[in-house]
Amino acid sequence: MSNIHGKAYAMNTVSPMKPWKTYILRLFFFIWRHYKPLGDGLVQLSFIHFARWVIVPRCAFPRLSEQQPKDDLQYDYLFFFSNFNGTWNQYIDAFSAVLFFGLNNIWRWSEKFPGSVPVTPFKSFIVRGQVETDYYYTAYPHATTNDVKAAHRVQAALGDFARQMEGMPPAKFADAYLQFLVKVQGDLGETGEAPVGT
Amino acid sequence: MANKSGSIYGLTILSPVKDDPHAEISPSLAVRMYLQTLPVDGRGPFGRVSSTHMARLVVLDDVVYFGMPSCEEHLKSKYLIFESNFDGELEPYLKQLAAEASDEVHNIWQHCIGYPGVQNVDAFIAYMKRCQVETTFYFADVNNKTVQQTLQALQTQSAVASFIEKNQGKPSEELQPAFIEFMSRLNKAPRPKPGSTKGKELTDELL
Repeated sequence: MSNIHGKAYAMNTVSPMKPWKTYILRLFFFIWRHYKPLGDGLVQLSFIHFARWVIVPRCAFPRLSEQQPKDDLQYDYLFFFSNFNGTWNQYIDAFSAVLFFGLNNIWRWSEKFPGSVPVTPFKSFIVRGQVETDYYYTAYPHATTNDVKAAHRVQAALGDFARQMEGMPPAKFADAYLQFLVKVQGDLGETGEAPVGT
Repeated sequence: MANKSGSIYGLTILSPVKDDPHAEISPSLAVRMYLQTLPVDGRGPFGRVSSTHMARLVVLDDVVYFGMPSCEEHLKSKYLIFESNFDGELEPYLKQLAAEASDEVHNIWQHCIGYPGVQNVDAFIAYMKRCQVETTFYFADVNNKTVQQTLQALQTQSAVASFIEKNQGKPSEELQPAFIEFMSRLNKAPRPKPGSTKGKELTDELL
């Protein structure tokens, strides 16, 4: 199993939906894309690098030759792929606690979805639909989403400070340096090996 | 387009895997066995395709049955799922994949139906596009920075923390030249490599 690499966890789930329900879900995603406050829940969680939902209609599984048997499916399928930090349990707990409204509206169209609250049946539903990852790569395995965002803030602050200090007398430099430290002090957490999770 | 968030492209590919009942090792198992041998760090295929933030490969054996009253059904082919999050546009990325990781790409996709090889790059791109499925909703938390910008920012963050720690309490007459020297070293430092598990150790070596 390769679901974990450094501080990132790769989750894949698949769930069946009656074809007429996928139109409703597509509409929901359309609204979510254009009505920002709904999407802000994912930003608030701040431990998801990338996530996606993909609806594959029952007749849209790629068929590349006449020799490939033709699938004969009754359901459309909802795939979910996520790259998150932390453990599986932390992720599902946080999802259920913070994003229950959005999650219910995404998965309520899937067969046998129990609702995201209470969390126990929701976890059983996810476990049932989860597919293991066979290979997982990340370009920055030792960094969490928060590390990445903090690092970009430090980079920007350092650039500003370096431009500002050119030709500055030492007395003024001390004050400017202090202001720089105050600005970046919350963003200097160290990256490295992830703690062992469950 | 739902495949993109800012400057990041979310690629989802479903490649049908060959079915050979007479093979000693089934094609889907052969893919899985090969994937287990690939390095997951910068020496792996995606470390060389340096615009890749994160990527995964998954063999989907079948769809999932959740129980009554839903109907039980099965796929007639297994699918190799390739999910990637990268900078820029699709065609340049697939070209880079074919050029920089041709051996690995061939060893993986040779078990898939309709795979034309990587020698003819246009045919390879056309094949991958036939296998692509549209992402319905895509989320990227940081969607305006490239892999290289992120790696550099992480290096800078670590270096700044080390500099501050080492120069605590110094008078400004010493601090300013030290900072100028620090900036000069940081600007000349080699660019961090994707997939590297060296973080702070590399920064300490530089500074």
